[in-house]
Amino acid sequence: MLDLSQLRAQLDDFQKFEATVRDRRAEQRTRATDALRACAEHWPEVQAAVEEAQPRRLVAALQESPDRTVRAPDRPTPITVVATDGSQIYPDRHVDPTFFLLNVSRVGFQYGTQEDPVLESVPRLRFEDDLSEHIDEVLGSMTTELVSALRDEMELEHLLAVAQEAQVEGRPLVALADGTLIRWMIRGMNNEAVEEALIARYTEHLRSFQQAGLPIASYVSMPATTEVVNLLRFVLAELDAAVPENIGVSPEGPSLNGLLDRHVFDGVLAPGHRSATFGSTSHIQRSYPEGTEVCYFYLKVPSSTGAGEMARVELPRWVVDEPSLVDRIHATVLRECQKGDGYPLALSEAHERAVIRASEREAFFRLMERRLRRAGLSPTDSRKRRSKQAPRV
Amino acid sequence: MSEREPIGEVIESSTRQFVVEVYEEAESPAFGSWIRVEGDGDRTLFGLVSHVETGSYDSNREAVALGLSPEERAEEMPMVQELLRTTVRAQVLACRDREGRIRQTLPPHPPDIHDFVHLCTDEHVRTLDAPFDFLRTLVEHPDPAVPVDDLLVAVLRRIYEANGGEHGGREALVAAGRALSRLLDDDHERLQSILRRVL
Repeated sequence: MLDLSQLRAQLDDFQKFEATVRDRRAEQRTRATDALRACAEHWPEVQAAVEEAQPRRLVAALQESPDRTVRAPDRPTPITVVATDGSQIYPDRHVDPTFFLLNVSRVGFQYGTQEDPVLESVPRLRFEDDLSEHIDEVLGSMTTELVSALRDEMELEHLLAVAQEAQVEGRPLVALADGTLIRWMIRGMNNEAVEEALIARYTEHLRSFQQAGLPIASYVSMPATTEVVNLLRFVLAELDAAVPENIGVSPEGPSLNGLLDRHVFDGVLAPGHRSATFGSTSHIQRSYPEGTEVCYFYLKVPSSTGAGEMARVELPRWVVDEPSLVDRIHATVLRECQKGDGYPLALSEAHERAVIRASEREAFFRLMERRLRRAGLSPTDSRKRRSKQAPRV
Repeated sequence: MSEREPIGEVIESSTRQFVVEVYEEAESPAFGSWIRVEGDGDRTLFGLVSHVETGSYDSNREAVALGLSPEERAEEMPMVQELLRTTVRAQVLACRDREGRIRQTLPPHPPDIHDFVHLCTDEHVRTLDAPFDFLRTLVEHPDPAVPVDDLLVAVLRRIYEANGGEHGGREALVAAGRALSRLLDDDHERLQSILRRVL
């Protein structure tokens, strides 16, 4: 129960704070934009200086002028767009033995044709016996992280499969994933063997995309990344790394601490335009096979209601090396967002197909229980779980 | 599509009425037309289509205006068609027993969920003939959500057509009209209003 009357004073405070932050952001943005322009004038030197100084924070790798903005070309038509998304039922610690469920959708649209779309989902029940060696070791302690990692892996695996199935000779294709391709979240499982196995399997799928020549991109909505801001902070000498004199810039203003990349590009990009491409310097990238290292650009997504949103589009190095593919992805993602009113249509369909609704979840547990009871096993349901679902008066 | 091909499947069932999801590629049966369910063995149920509805599959997703031509919609929003479905509700008014006799009364058992549903041919409609006892069920226990007189108009029109229309349909129509007249307690105004709309 939430007592809203008690919150009134706290909401007043929050409102004041929000106004202060907004003012500071505006000043930070101006300073960041100035720094970006200054940095653009001699970006190869800046990049060399970053490599030399090796700041501890994650700094965007420059591969072209960082203030470049690109207008989207027309999306090719016909075109094949495939997407996947996933959801899960996490293990319940009141249930023994441990199991969890992954549900991954497969969407394939042949835009510009009237061919039938692919719209389906594939569930997979997983339990200890089914997990490979080592991986079961962390299931107890790193449950949500592990389940999420296995779901991401399954999403990528099915994205590859649906791309291969939907591919039409001579017709361009774009494969869209949801969320980041950078597996930084895998680090921290306190089990190197598991981390390595998960990364290896994930990047193996990425490599298959490259080998099959299927351009893949992932869409990150409202990204909270600060790699470009960190680059600007480096040239503004805000990081504890030495800045060579010839590249230092000094626009006046408050520190860029707390500013996000999307705040910067929101001021730089026109609706529908994308930024330059940058390289990720995430440590985990060292484990990615050559050609699959992750690069990204920012995109200003127009919306029918006016307030556009910033997105980050990630793509492997081999795709970035082929400018026509970057154009294709830019145009496709933009068109997808226009049709999906701010979010890529194929991904939102993929989400709809992947989501497990409360009623379906109930049906799944009922089915499981009935099966176990019929087999003479004890029901998996604990009293605690049941009481949480149906509180009694 | 031949009449041998099912047009859909039963998705809700009772002895009084059933709901059919119509296959995407099938033509939806018209309001007031007859459909039949071939159950196990020789059992056949006859239902009168009293309600036809098209909407979103998913109760969480509403259909919204898109401002696209049908071609553009198919080319750029291909999931829309997949998310729409047509369902029809049919009142059970007759059944055929194992001996092959048609009884104009409710069946002993409802159809099974997922039973296939077929359109009735003219021949089937002609067998649902005098004394038209099904009309009594229809008039006295109508589906409350359906304007029963409009349904009667459609039923009579179907009887007329199945019996040859201009070439012989009138006789069957008059017979059904007489039966209806008795049911309506000689409410001539109501009967006239129905008959006026048949032809």
